[in-house]
Amino acid sequence: MDRLPRGRHGLSPEFVARNQRERLIAGLTEALYEVGYKKTTVSLIGARASVSKSDFYKHFESKDECFFAAYEAAIERIRGEVLGACSRHEVGGWSARVRDGIAALLTLLAADPALASISLVEGLRAGRGIYDRYQAAVESFIPYLREGAPEAPDGGPVPEATDEAVVGGIASLLGRRVLAGEAERIDELLPDVLEFALTPYLGAVEARRIISAG
Amino acid sequence: MKSTRPELSREFVAVHKRRRIIDAMAELSAEQGYEATKIADVVRRAGVARKTLYDNFDGKEEVFLAAFDSAIDELAAQIEAACEEAGGEWADRVAAGLRAFLTFVVEKPAAARMCLIEAVSAAPAASTRYDEAVQRFVELLRRNAPASKGLPDTIEETLVGGVAWILHQQIRRGEAARALDLMPELTDFVLSPYQGVAELKR
Repeated sequence: MDRLPRGRHGLSPEFVARNQRERLIAGLTEALYEVGYKKTTVSLIGARASVSKSDFYKHFESKDECFFAAYEAAIERIRGEVLGACSRHEVGGWSARVRDGIAALLTLLAADPALASISLVEGLRAGRGIYDRYQAAVESFIPYLREGAPEAPDGGPVPEATDEAVVGGIASLLGRRVLAGEAERIDELLPDVLEFALTPYLGAVEARRIISAG
Repeated sequence: MKSTRPELSREFVAVHKRRRIIDAMAELSAEQGYEATKIADVVRRAGVARKTLYDNFDGKEEVFLAAFDSAIDELAAQIEAACEEAGGEWADRVAAGLRAFLTFVVEKPAAARMCLIEAVSAAPAASTRYDEAVQRFVELLRRNAPASKGLPDTIEETLVGGVAWILHQQIRRGEAARALDLMPELTDFVLSPYQGVAELKR
């Protein structure tokens, strides 16, 4: 995120403050990806963000507080992107909605490894009770998978545990790839993830038809 | 100090103390979380001297990792034994392995909580170890499931990750004792991809 011009620029103080805050959040997210939580100091965050240490403390009381804000921002960004992709489909287009949501998720994470890292790996490693937020974030996708889902291929609704296990299983796989340093290539997993997600609802034949249709 | 238990060898006592330290860490991190657990709590619960702990371990993280490894070894051994006992049918073997996993959660709720929840966020080294444990169960499933030709290479990873997630939720809801209730749904979840591919080939 670029710093603002120095001196007289006619930008409102609110704008400047918001921009600084966003830069600090981006700075922490990058630093976390590169050096982990312990070594992510307030000075390093400030340097990344081009914000002075004293300005840092105008926005956040501590590194932890900046971290919580960054975690929330990361989750919101992911959610916004995924739900945005899903919402382009009308009711009834369940498989297209799920396909586009998952594709948007993998594309975003591959394009922004620091975002993938804070949300799926380094955020959790930082401890500080972030696990509860991670869990809530993962859970929040379950209703979108469930909504309008077709019945299982052999009749009857797909069990709730399956909805949960599909979402949790995807999060686990993505986290493992990020931990292995392969975030940039996470979008290559798209066919695998789609097949895993769609098959319980559509059966293997229909799931593959949709995946190969792209 | 004069020994009051002369019949026990020095070695036996040392192993026993190490075991108590590990068990205390497992219990405490399950009860109050890893971050809140202090070395002082561990030595008090284990009934050993602080020095004994430091003679055996570098510090808190190493105790946690030892406790984690010990629990995972036990869990993996139980799953493997169950798979063996189940005979030659892959579906029976996988179901038996899953049942052994759920049984572990019921019988050892503290160890299960430590392995499935605390380890993920305890410390960087612990989350790496957690990932290695996941890999171990991925390989176990791969060995016992039909050769997954025609399924994504990652299928065992997502299945193991999915099962782990469901158990996380169950434990966090305070329902570890009822983990075996999940058996029908989880069996279906794990077996159906392989069965679906079998149908494709027909």
